[in-house]
Amino acid sequence: MEDKKRLTRRDFLKVAAVGTAGLAGACSQIPVTGKDKEKIVVGMSRPLSGPLAVIGDSAFRPIYETWVPEVNAEGGIYVEEYGRKLPIELIVYDDKSDVGTMTRLTEKLIVEDKVDFLWPASGTSFVFAQAPIANKYGYVLITAEGGATSIKDMLPSLPFVFVTLSFSDWYQLPVLAELLGEKGAKTAYIVYIADLHGIEYSGVAGIEFPKQGIDIIGVKSVPPDIKDLSQIIKEAKASNADVFCCFAYPDQVMPATGTSMELGFNPKAWVGGPCVNFGFYHTTFGPAAEGVLGFTSFSPKQSAAAKTLADKLYTGKPEEAQDWWGHPLYWAGLEIWKQAIEKAGTLDQAKIRDIIATEKFQTVLGETWFDNGLLAKECHTGEIGQWQNGVYEVVGPKNMATADTVYPKPEWPTGGG
Amino acid sequence: MKHKPRLPQGLLTTGSITLTVLVLFATLPGYASIYTVILLAAIFMYIVLTLSWSIFSGPTGYISLASAAFLGTGIYTSAIFGKMLPLPVVVGIGGLASFCLALLAGALTLRLKGIYFSMFTFGLVELIKHLMLWFEINLTGTRGRFVIVVDHITVYYVMLVLLALTILTAYAIRRSKFGLALQSIGEQEEAAAHTGVNVTLVKVSAFAISAFFVGATGAIMATRWTYIDPYIAFNYLFSFMPVLMAIFGGMGQLYGPIMGATVFAYLEEILITRFPYFYMLFFGIILIVSVLYLPNGLAGLIQGWQKRVWGARYVHP
Repeated sequence: MEDKKRLTRRDFLKVAAVGTAGLAGACSQIPVTGKDKEKIVVGMSRPLSGPLAVIGDSAFRPIYETWVPEVNAEGGIYVEEYGRKLPIELIVYDDKSDVGTMTRLTEKLIVEDKVDFLWPASGTSFVFAQAPIANKYGYVLITAEGGATSIKDMLPSLPFVFVTLSFSDWYQLPVLAELLGEKGAKTAYIVYIADLHGIEYSGVAGIEFPKQGIDIIGVKSVPPDIKDLSQIIKEAKASNADVFCCFAYPDQVMPATGTSMELGFNPKAWVGGPCVNFGFYHTTFGPAAEGVLGFTSFSPKQSAAAKTLADKLYTGKPEEAQDWWGHPLYWAGLEIWKQAIEKAGTLDQAKIRDIIATEKFQTVLGETWFDNGLLAKECHTGEIGQWQNGVYEVVGPKNMATADTVYPKPEWPTGGG
Repeated sequence: MKHKPRLPQGLLTTGSITLTVLVLFATLPGYASIYTVILLAAIFMYIVLTLSWSIFSGPTGYISLASAAFLGTGIYTSAIFGKMLPLPVVVGIGGLASFCLALLAGALTLRLKGIYFSMFTFGLVELIKHLMLWFEINLTGTRGRFVIVVDHITVYYVMLVLLALTILTAYAIRRSKFGLALQSIGEQEEAAAHTGVNVTLVKVSAFAISAFFVGATGAIMATRWTYIDPYIAFNYLFSFMPVLMAIFGGMGQLYGPIMGATVFAYLEEILITRFPYFYMLFFGIILIVSVLYLPNGLAGLIQGWQKRVWGARYVHP
């Protein structure tokens, strides 16, 4: 007995000692990359696996994967300090859609890899977690996926953080309310997802809709993993509201659309959150998508620049990959970043930050600037979109519109589905 | 005669090696890079999760998927009390809150066996997640919370202390009558009850003790996460990781889960940073290979090797 016990303990300790020494050795031997000015090193922690991968892969990833090779093909970004163009090198880590891993990898990029720049993680809550870290180390962070009313209150304390994506009161819902009010909508029924996104959108709608004479006659929150929306759609149908809003994500907006068709719920306006703006909404529902309203930020019909960008991103790719809301804003964010480096003539974050914060830039959106850390709403080239004849048109605000709002929307097609 | 002079020598070795390891880790922030410290704190977290999981699930065979619930409870404790109370108190509360949750959940459900118990514990994670979501939306009007930021070195030392405590507790339990009772529950619960073991009390208390360390870990690690919401705090990833790590390491020995968590966490770090696009592929292959060829985990591998070198009689079953 004692022999065994003694040996077990000793073996355990041996293993522990060897393991520890090995671990400590391995950890301390990770090479620290010095400042190599052959290139501009940009680091990112992205959800390449896990539940957020589907968002990250369709939103910001196609943008940087198109933009970086384009810039590098021209030799890179001219930095006066070095008297030459420096190509961009990307370091991409997988955060597994886990915030703890994301914050750790962000710090790894900054303190160990000593990257020259940080590009954003994916998702609103990830932006909330990453922004204070970037700010603490004095790294400029131009965000991509993610934006929320509550980030507005934080931005004054985060001078290094710039938010590109438009959101509820910046400036989507005021435009939506105005459009619907003008068309004579009187009542609205709102379904929202019980998370930050849904709460904010339903909250802002609660302020903006009544301003335009639209009464909110029903509000219902749904948990993110709801599968059957038929009770809620029945209730919305019974309310006879002119406008139906589903402020939620694809996992809810897709079934809400299907259930509305199934139950013959034909409000005069059907508004869906982040989902309607993607190409896959159209490829899924085909002609049934006709007249559905959603959020957007551009249309290739608006300008030559917009058309060039749309061609660059979407030509030869499946329609599913299209995102008419986020893509141009992320693209503009990268353009601003490049121009700010060129203007600063250095890779000094603080100087670049000051330029981004105070100057105006020429991007795909036209003249573009940040207003207290948010992409100025005057720069948005659209807020509300509508599927018309298989094309996602910009219908609001009116001075940007590529088509007039169809109201009431055509009824769902019956029979063929 | 043969044994007596050796026992103190063994103790001496134990003492000196433990001390060396402790000194090595305690002085590490002095000479290692800051990221080594950050990474080690994360690896310690996984070791504590895995080892606490194996304190209860190892001997009893009750596969608990509640780790994420306990971790999340600790995380929320930190988010709520972090700004008002000193850090050690917050960590203590995090541990106690998880301890109480495990007591309650354990008392209610440890009559369930096998897959039913696993399903319940997994349901617990979802239940608390949605309870927090409802609470935050309807009562506090927020959804996410910012967690007070604590510097790396402090987080590292707190994790080191928690790790040491978890190892000590796991060791003490294995060596005690209590541990023997747990083992007998795993082998044949009815027989254990007949031999006079208060099975419910033993199971519930082991479940709660293991939850304490997970909760305390959540409370300290949350400070590294900056911002949390119910989805982030109650991430089911943290229910499955400890199980995978313990299986990978092997549950027969105390060092099994420790090795499993360390190797797994370090491997993952290498994969997500060096081969991010193939992380899942490599990870899957490694898992399949280890399940096929290492049925007793890394610990089993080491034992097999010991058997060959020293002969079977020295190897603890």
